[in-house]
Amino acid sequence: MQFKLRTATFFALVLYANSGLAADKPWSENAISGHVPMPQGVLSKQALDQLVEQGEALFSAKFTTPDGAGRPMATQAIIPTKRKRPPSQQFNRVTGTDSNACSSCHNEPIIGGAGNFVSNVFVSEGFNSQGSDSIDPQFSNERNTNHVLGSGLIELLAREMTADLVALRKQALNEARKNNKTVEISLTTKGVDFGTLSASPDGLVDLSQLDGLDTDLVIRPFSQKGVMTSLRQFTINALNHHHGMQAVERFGTRWTGEDDFDKDGITNELLPGDISALVAWQATLAPPTRLKPKQEVWQTAAAKGDALFDDIRCSSCHIKALPLNSLQFSDPGPVDAAGTTRDSEVKASAIYDLALRGWATKLAKNDKGQFMVPLFGDLKRHAMTDAENDKFGNELLSQRFVERSVFATSELWGIASTGPYGHRGDMTTLREVIEAHGGEAKQSRDNYMALSEDDRDNIIAFLKTLVIEQ
Amino acid sequence: MRNFVSFFTALALYSTATLAAETQDVPIMQEQAKQAGVNHTYAGPWEYFVGGGVATFDCNGDRRPDIALAGGTNPAQLFVNKSSTGGALKFEFKSLNLTEKELKKVTGVYPLDINNDGFKDLIFLRVGENLLLKGGPDCSFTKANEEFAFDGGKAWSVAFAATHEEGAEFPTLAIGNYVDRDAPGSPWGTCHDNFLYRPNPGTTINYSNRLALTPGYCALSMIFTDWNKSGTPALRISNDRQYYRGGEEQMWKMEKTPKLYTRADGWQKLTIWGMGIAEADINGDGLPEYALTSMGDTKIQMLDRDADGAPAYLDIAWERGATAHRPYMGGDLKPSTGWHSEFADFNNDGILDLFIAKGNVAEMKDFTANDPDNMLLGQFDGKFKEAGKKAGIGLNTRGRGAAIVDLNMDGMLDLIVVNREVPVSLFANLGGDAPNSPRPMGNWVQIELQQDGPNKNAIGATISIKSGNNNRVRKVGVGGGHASGSLGFIHVGLGVAERANIRVKWPDDSWSAPYRVFANQFVVIKKNDNIPKYWFPQ
Repeated sequence: MQFKLRTATFFALVLYANSGLAADKPWSENAISGHVPMPQGVLSKQALDQLVEQGEALFSAKFTTPDGAGRPMATQAIIPTKRKRPPSQQFNRVTGTDSNACSSCHNEPIIGGAGNFVSNVFVSEGFNSQGSDSIDPQFSNERNTNHVLGSGLIELLAREMTADLVALRKQALNEARKNNKTVEISLTTKGVDFGTLSASPDGLVDLSQLDGLDTDLVIRPFSQKGVMTSLRQFTINALNHHHGMQAVERFGTRWTGEDDFDKDGITNELLPGDISALVAWQATLAPPTRLKPKQEVWQTAAAKGDALFDDIRCSSCHIKALPLNSLQFSDPGPVDAAGTTRDSEVKASAIYDLALRGWATKLAKNDKGQFMVPLFGDLKRHAMTDAENDKFGNELLSQRFVERSVFATSELWGIASTGPYGHRGDMTTLREVIEAHGGEAKQSRDNYMALSEDDRDNIIAFLKTLVIEQ
Repeated sequence: MRNFVSFFTALALYSTATLAAETQDVPIMQEQAKQAGVNHTYAGPWEYFVGGGVATFDCNGDRRPDIALAGGTNPAQLFVNKSSTGGALKFEFKSLNLTEKELKKVTGVYPLDINNDGFKDLIFLRVGENLLLKGGPDCSFTKANEEFAFDGGKAWSVAFAATHEEGAEFPTLAIGNYVDRDAPGSPWGTCHDNFLYRPNPGTTINYSNRLALTPGYCALSMIFTDWNKSGTPALRISNDRQYYRGGEEQMWKMEKTPKLYTRADGWQKLTIWGMGIAEADINGDGLPEYALTSMGDTKIQMLDRDADGAPAYLDIAWERGATAHRPYMGGDLKPSTGWHSEFADFNNDGILDLFIAKGNVAEMKDFTANDPDNMLLGQFDGKFKEAGKKAGIGLNTRGRGAAIVDLNMDGMLDLIVVNREVPVSLFANLGGDAPNSPRPMGNWVQIELQQDGPNKNAIGATISIKSGNNNRVRKVGVGGGHASGSLGFIHVGLGVAERANIRVKWPDDSWSAPYRVFANQFVVIKKNDNIPKYWFPQ
């Protein structure tokens, strides 16, 4: 930790020097004052290490007003949106800004980790009720902070799944056109079933039978709703929402006509290379691991729980591992839309080879040579409530086309290190959150409830082995 | 430590170069007519100083826009779209199966499904008999004046607009006529009446009921526009002061017997060399603004809110930077001559731009001879900024009609400009100008509306596309511009929005439920469907 702080301090000083201001002042109140060059091409280990180090410094940096923190005339919306009037205070727990460092919330048990209830955020689209400081759920959805460890692997899985689904759609269209008849196709990728679509010979696609994903077939793996496409997109959103640090690639002149959209007096607050550094750091974070308990009794219980986890079909959604073809993480990536730098906008995307990180060697491989990513998830959305069990139905607002009761499957890796649980973070134990499952998870939950007390305990013992290494 | 030092070294070189690219996208428009196989010239003597139209529409069911071009004394031509998705523009000539006489003297072309058979038909405006061409499978057309009981007359027609009036099985057609060459004293003060063709009641198409809209003031453009959101569009006509005497711009109230708006209604006299009208809601107030081209400055009209609901307009062109009154290239400071006008979002930044085709009438010495077309990019502050030179459309041609449409289905609007006496220009939009250009621009969505029964293409519908606090509005209509019209996907730039809620106000004034769609998709919405379909080009 001491090293990190020292790094961040040095980072700030170097950047400050470039600003042409009082570069040599060790008491500078800037956290940053310069920018990371945009990487491109395949990064060597040294270059990747350097970028990751810069990303960690940015993730830890406590942004200040001289850096551009605060957004007096902009809302938290992901589409640049003006406030009608500046807020009376810089920080606001509901509409933001609500922290001045990423690590202010993502810090349990390590930086990049999850957050306690105290670091919950309030999600609203940010187009209306801009000055609201009410936590009434009619204005926003209260969400607990997820960890971002292993998120590079998650995004790579999502990209490969998206590519599979798009290829399936294309295949259906080609067959429909060739044979002049409607073709229905099952949208299954990496063993996850996303429903069906029908393609007509005239190129029309019926999307009414999709299941758990968006109509453009893009798997959006991030956020509790599964509505964010990439680390890059999410990072830009969060920097604005939580810190008022606005990325040029979304809030700059190209898309807003202004170089200081939030009117805080600081122009061009974060350049694309800065975002790349943040992405690189997050993408290369070691994923959570499985603890091998020292106590034999725990080992035994966990082993039983591991098997029961499958038996009662928890693993039908919390799939223990999904196969990944490649560890080459391109940034910018292939799926983002305008407002997040796209791969087609740069001469060459940077390639972060996750294999260069030591942890990658620990990933198991299947018989096809694919890396098995032990995420305990399916990157799919599910309805999580029913009439009997509506504990997850405590929100009043849909989010980005996703209904109130629908959430993306939480990846359970690291679950033992990231309580409290539930999308609001208001369940202190794993038992509580299991019992809260309803809707599509009702049968598994009922199966769990039908187990003996010992077997329910075994499942907890198993889940308690899914940890974030410290 | 060493890493940070090297990072610092790179830093100084980085900032300015990257930021230079972060300005508003200017689309790179590459002229490809010859390579695309579109070899066509609009030409002719005095009668063809005006006109020069183009229609874009899908005539073979592949949803790609095909092109019909007026030729003046040259034959009109049809070109079928063979462009690959996102690739170079490519078209194939296809015979229209008309006589040489019928193919000539065409000034303007508009597409419309007149008989509700699902095939788009064509209206040929001519110097002489106007023609209705009934569309059939695989881009086949047959002359249908007799079948539709349509008297094409013998006037000199350049303007057209269509609407579906309440309860009618078929569309109402308005045709604007120019100088009456047979009248004594022609051409001065001898403007022809305009005509309104209302279909006879019933399910058999019959346009024998032709109504003269008198007086005519040498119309060069007309649109049906719901200027006050009454639900009943009025017919607005732009007239050429060059030839009328005592004339002005006109707007007809579409009652059983159409009635001109007058001073008593609050209509203000405006005399311009009216060449082309375009409408769009550029300020998001729910009411249309109008771009009126002329010789000299272009007008942008906004309804005067202080006029108590009267059709009185303020000209906001100057304050918006859109007068485009003289060339932006070359040293000639003489006034411009504007023709086709059309609002569209060329760079997908979510803000409507304004295109104006420009060109000297012939040899008018008091007006500039080198008159490049305008691409006025909408700015975030509501103004417009000329980008024609940088975009590459600033050619020394005499522009007339035009169409702005995505020809290769890549989400970016391409441009067709009919030039007088020289070949048509076909500009492919390659993307935004940048150091690594062309680069992709903003997000977009393109929308096709369908409904059963009459008016299958939902002419008269309003589409509201909402993302964030931005509510973009598009009208489905045929008419306006200069002798040119389009019928097909409605394009909407979305800027950085990656999704949008779409609501449709159908021609019967019923509103749809919101449709949730993702950006960068072709969306097909059929009335009463719960979920829209996406369309994917081959």
